[in-house]
Amino acid sequence: MLWLYLHFPHLLLDHIRRSREDQGALVIVEGSGQKVIQACPEARKQGIRSGMRLKTAISLVPDLGMVRADEAQEARTLEDQARWLYRYAAHIVLVPPDGMLVEIGSLHKLYGGLPAVWQTVEQGLNERQLNTWSGIGYTPLAARLIARTGKGECTADKGHILRTLRHMPLLAAEFDEKACTRLQRLGLRTLGEVFDLPSNELARRLSPELLAYIQKIQGTRPDPRTPWQPPHSFRQQADFVQEIEHTQGLLFPLQRMLAELEEDLCWRQQDTDSLRLVLRHRHSEPTRLHIRTSGPEHRADNFLGLIRLRLEQHSLRAPVISLVLSVKRFLPREALSGQDLLGETQDLNEAWHTLISRLQARLGKQALRQLSPQADHRPERAWSASEVLRKTRAPLKQAGELPRRPLWLLKGPQPLTETPAAWFAGPERISGGWWDGQRVHRDYYIAQLNSGQLAWVFRDAREGWFVHGWFG
Amino acid sequence: MSELLDTLIQDARVWQGHCHTRTTQPAESTGYQVLDNQLGGLGWPRGALSECLLDAPGIGELHLLLPLMQRLCAGGKTVFWLNPPHTPYAPALAREGVNLDQVVLIHTGDESDFLWTLENCLRSPVTGLVMAWPGKLASREVRRLQLAAEAGSNVCVLFRERRHAGQNSPAALRLELEPGEQQDLRVNVLKRRGSWPGQRCSLALGQRAGLPFLETTRVAPGPWSGSGG
Repeated sequence: MLWLYLHFPHLLLDHIRRSREDQGALVIVEGSGQKVIQACPEARKQGIRSGMRLKTAISLVPDLGMVRADEAQEARTLEDQARWLYRYAAHIVLVPPDGMLVEIGSLHKLYGGLPAVWQTVEQGLNERQLNTWSGIGYTPLAARLIARTGKGECTADKGHILRTLRHMPLLAAEFDEKACTRLQRLGLRTLGEVFDLPSNELARRLSPELLAYIQKIQGTRPDPRTPWQPPHSFRQQADFVQEIEHTQGLLFPLQRMLAELEEDLCWRQQDTDSLRLVLRHRHSEPTRLHIRTSGPEHRADNFLGLIRLRLEQHSLRAPVISLVLSVKRFLPREALSGQDLLGETQDLNEAWHTLISRLQARLGKQALRQLSPQADHRPERAWSASEVLRKTRAPLKQAGELPRRPLWLLKGPQPLTETPAAWFAGPERISGGWWDGQRVHRDYYIAQLNSGQLAWVFRDAREGWFVHGWFG
Repeated sequence: MSELLDTLIQDARVWQGHCHTRTTQPAESTGYQVLDNQLGGLGWPRGALSECLLDAPGIGELHLLLPLMQRLCAGGKTVFWLNPPHTPYAPALAREGVNLDQVVLIHTGDESDFLWTLENCLRSPVTGLVMAWPGKLASREVRRLQLAAEAGSNVCVLFRERRHAGQNSPAALRLELEPGEQQDLRVNVLKRRGSWPGQRCSLALGQRAGLPFLETTRVAPGPWSGSGG
């Protein structure tokens, strides 16, 4: 097996820089907030080094952007990288906090040689503006050591890899401190010299663990790793150095996240109809937005349009410190069903979904209703309103079976305030509802009022006369 | 330049009193021959705004649009009802053969939402007909809607109060609706493109309440005698 190790020297820094519009100096500080652990090129140009005290750094660059290192966030970011890399390689092993192993021996044939694999991965890394040191080795540990010393080359030549390993100084070989000191005291300086020692002597004089480690580097002892499995959901997070106060400022990071979502959906060959957006604030409860499209969708532009509409309606309660986009619901992508020769049906379907989604995003889901008749004798219950859905079934042919009803139904019966000018049909007795307590006992008439309106009026057993509808 | 003028005359945008040009603007038949004749044999203009001005609902204003609604729904176009004053009654629509899957009801909160929604509906190719009940509209806003209607090619009917009849409006067609003696609907053309206004006609719509044409008034006494009204 041939392993490619990717070492991300400042993963968090790259991740945060990517969701920023301005490229000011930025550093990552350690948990306690005392020391700079990572500095971006801009900061380095101004003299900030990693390991520097934060106070010194601030005095060098007063408007320095600072982010506190967070293990959970780092782990999440690493997993983000695994997710896109999974498109290119099947066997990925996460090596927290900042590394990743990719089995590339099985990919030669697919990509047409090692250089092509290397190039594909490099291209993916460049697209995401990630600083990476890569290394290739025949064992996971060998690949890791080569990558972390920055000596990685695109070669699968065993001899060359072994030479690189042999020339590696002991300090770079990641022995534990005690073993390293003891080896140095023995007068050994490079890994090659350790390799040359007889193994039973090494175990006896130093420790069996050290021998196991060396054998794992050389590949004479198995070093099993659990492969990473992609999750069944999409999740992206953008963290902001400076709090974002206007919804407009959220659109820039969103654009990138939605592009990733589109790519992800393309790879899954799936669509989605619901996005969840969580805006985190420093001091208050996070704002949760649920964006729904009326039909399956995967294009970033459409999602962005809907989110923009939604954000325009929604002013921010508090400045936003981070933004999470997640999708849990995936729908199988419909095959393009060209229902007619010119494919017009597809376009109309799409236009319909676009329009309804737009309207729902701005007006809210409750504003759009579709009507349907219900089987009930009581007029106010003989219809129902439901969410808008695209139905393609043939309309029910039931004309003539239904009794004559007015086209307008009032929201509730209104008292009849005048004596109608003329009476027409009636009475039609509607009595029912004894089974659910909403009893109705009415005689309906059609009458013309003095204003010329044709009304559907009824007389209740107790309360007198009411208008219930207009024959519009 | 003359080309421009020609188009203006061709589209009947420039009204010429002396000669009656037959316009070629797209239109949808109203389904009532009498009314179509009054509208130059065309009907509801497409890609333009129409206005119906009436005092109160229940005079047959929906039946005026019903043939068009039936036709569009059967053709797979969507009919939008924007801020209707009452509930369109589903059993009645189903009985009239309107495919309810194609009917979408929209309620908007404020005026800016109303205009935005109407514009979006008008621009979409899925829309066949938009019926809208605006509260009050400034003349500037009617103009904006007329422009939006021109961007699409569907029928848009605004239902407004009759007191707006006196004001000018950029709508392409304006009809004043009044109830007649025999449960019919009197239509008075206030404005239409390319011709003199002032045509009047009456549509017999008694059948909307199941009344045969010109039936004599029949008083049906209720079961509780002696207390009518």
